[in-house]
Amino acid sequence: MNCKLKDDNTRGAQERPCVGNSLFTIYYSPFPPHHSLFSIILLVACHLSLVTALSVATAVGGQGAENAVRYETSHESMGTVFTVAVYGRDRTFLSEVVEEAFEAVDRLDEQMSNYKPQSELSTINRTAASRPVVVEPELFHLLEISVGRSEETDGAFDITVGPLMKSWGFFRGRGRLPTQAEISQVLKGVGYQHLKLDAARRTVRFDAEGVELDLGGIAKGYAVDRAVDVLRSNGITSALVSSGMSSIYALGSPPGSHGWKITLRDPYDAHKAGDVFHLQNYSLSTSGSYEKFLKIAGKNYCHIMNPHTGWPVDNMLSALVLAPTGTDTDGRSAGFFVMGVERTRKYLAVHPNLAAVFYIPNGDPPKYKRVQLRSDSYSIPPDSIVEIDR
Amino acid sequence: MENERDVTRRDFLKTAAAVAAASALPSVGAPAILANPGPNNVVNYGMIGTGTEGCTLLKFLATIPEGRCIATCDIYPPNLKKGVETIGSNPQTYEDYRKMLERKDLDAIMVVTPLNLHAQMVTDALSAGKHVFVEKTMYFKEDEEDKIRKASEQYPKQALQVGLQRRSSLLYQVAIEMIRKGALGKVLFVRANWHRNSNWRRPVPDPKFERLINWRMYKEYSGGLFAELASHQLDVANWAFGADPISVVATGGVDYWKDGREVCDNIQAIYEYSGGRKFMWSGVLYNEHFQFEEEIMGDQGTLIITLGKGLFYREPVAKVSKAGLKENWWAGATVSKAATQEGIPIFPEHTGNGETGFVDREMLYAKRWLASMGIYKYEEPHDPWWSEMSNFMATIREGKPVIAPLEIGVADAQGVIYGNRAVETGQKVFWPNKANSKS
Repeated sequence: MNCKLKDDNTRGAQERPCVGNSLFTIYYSPFPPHHSLFSIILLVACHLSLVTALSVATAVGGQGAENAVRYETSHESMGTVFTVAVYGRDRTFLSEVVEEAFEAVDRLDEQMSNYKPQSELSTINRTAASRPVVVEPELFHLLEISVGRSEETDGAFDITVGPLMKSWGFFRGRGRLPTQAEISQVLKGVGYQHLKLDAARRTVRFDAEGVELDLGGIAKGYAVDRAVDVLRSNGITSALVSSGMSSIYALGSPPGSHGWKITLRDPYDAHKAGDVFHLQNYSLSTSGSYEKFLKIAGKNYCHIMNPHTGWPVDNMLSALVLAPTGTDTDGRSAGFFVMGVERTRKYLAVHPNLAAVFYIPNGDPPKYKRVQLRSDSYSIPPDSIVEIDR
Repeated sequence: MENERDVTRRDFLKTAAAVAAASALPSVGAPAILANPGPNNVVNYGMIGTGTEGCTLLKFLATIPEGRCIATCDIYPPNLKKGVETIGSNPQTYEDYRKMLERKDLDAIMVVTPLNLHAQMVTDALSAGKHVFVEKTMYFKEDEEDKIRKASEQYPKQALQVGLQRRSSLLYQVAIEMIRKGALGKVLFVRANWHRNSNWRRPVPDPKFERLINWRMYKEYSGGLFAELASHQLDVANWAFGADPISVVATGGVDYWKDGREVCDNIQAIYEYSGGRKFMWSGVLYNEHFQFEEEIMGDQGTLIITLGKGLFYREPVAKVSKAGLKENWWAGATVSKAATQEGIPIFPEHTGNGETGFVDREMLYAKRWLASMGIYKYEEPHDPWWSEMSNFMATIREGKPVIAPLEIGVADAQGVIYGNRAVETGQKVFWPNKANSKS
């Protein structure tokens, strides 16, 4: 039950192959490293669900079930792939529980997607500039959390950044370099201050035209938490929930193990390990510049925008946050990515029980620098495990 | 213990290795061929029926040096002329195919005539000592099966190939091999459609030629959409299931083109195979949105194929194992699902260098990976029509197995005949004494 602090470090990696010759191309790294090449190809193929149920002879949640099984499945939602691995006695029961968890995620996706015109979020985006819109309690709560994160981070995390993403072509587009005039125009509608929440009436209103909410920076972590709620409410004591690798919650530990082993990928090589974490009843989230980026005239622009400048964040490869819940971590990783090390250090001086790991460019790729930080006031719950190996 | 229906990576690799040899097919009903086989012998052939279909074949045959067209036959002079022009080898022309069959220098005969003429011409050609290629559907009436079968058995050294050209398509061979090796898991359903938005007529310069040219419209000569379109796709279903149907229910009518035709323009049919397997087919002549394709569905994957294009979609896969698993998860920036919305092209078109988007790039990775294991080539090496003709020549010259032999043609013809019977009677039609063990 410890979180070992590491010194700053520089490490090298093999050069990452570059494919694609367009001047205007958004890149997604195709093969997440936790799958074999084979399974990735299949993942590419389909409305993906990989289900794995492996018998284990070890105890599950201390129940010592001889016939315990491991059940793993994946499901597309929120523009990514959610994966759940769960231990229990009965495979059919586990499959039903996981299905219920995915249904919870899907309901949030239906509600909070800005890609779906019928979603509640899209309705808000269309109408809140002209009048206050009554919001469903759960979504309103998430909006409150989001605004809170924006205030804490002085706008580094901001759910109104969507129009900027569009102007850079990261929304249903192939990427483009906007003019500074365009950026300036878009910035008029960017800023959490334009979002007016009325808790008494549970309404949201925009005080400017052009404001749009985009929960992509927090909703997946929130959804992971809700999926974990479903698992817990069904008596599950050992599970891992991953939202596209970027937001992960470790519920309990695998049978016979000391936490769930989670490896952070090298920012330049998806198949190479960075930090290794062992988590129990804890969450991590990662924001990185290597999965989705825009390449224009040889220069890479990542998809994470600085809401103040309107330009993609430069000079940052990856920001990882450790905290008790997915909502805690997901909403902060993008903020920390924007803030960088020094501003995050100041943030952690006044916000307790958080840890962060940054990968920062350090000379020519594949070299990068590692920085680990944690809150000045730091502890973890007694039933949690947070350990970092390197 | 590993579930036998699981498709592991190892199994898939085995599939890939096997598929690499897929073009060497097939395994069914191959007669021992030729009195004088030899790779240097050119096959002299004649074609009966040089209408649209015949000329399509001649166009491909003209590029196959292993064969030489020395005779063509058609009772409609414009067709005869067109055939001669298409093949370009100055064949002798005939109006009476029996005269043509008398030629001793003819090794093989292509029967590309209206369906009602197939059985007689096939048996006559076999009796005349010729190898025979007959366009699908192999025969018209149920009792013609015996006639062709007996002739085929009487002349076992002569090839009899049915014109089901998907059998000659490398794409379809890959697809079937994927099924055989379990990539789709348990396959219970094949759905296919052949939809057009046209009246399916050919232009008639003089009304007196209506029934000659538009023979497909009249039940006296034609099995309608079942015979001309469904036959190809029913054959794919038979091939995919490795079995023949046991029953069919169907409905159809002349519902749109009320122009005097007798055959349906709007058909829906369900063929049932042993074990609850089903093939559902529709053929319509008033909407072409879905055009033609076959969808093969198993509990571990789906194949959507049509000539020149095939996509594989993975289903959720359940695995049960006694082995424990060492947990090791990876974290990183959010992985997009964008590419998961696309299927794996099992046999994609040419891959250019102009990939511009992330989906293109991911698909390129998938293609390269699959190609590296022999799951597909980057393109079909030849048009399946060409391959079909080439296979026929190879059978005659080198004794290679017949790619679509008698039994495949019989199963296909039965499906056509019983499908039409189901429409006409409104009753479920059962195959007589079905064994269902063919593959």
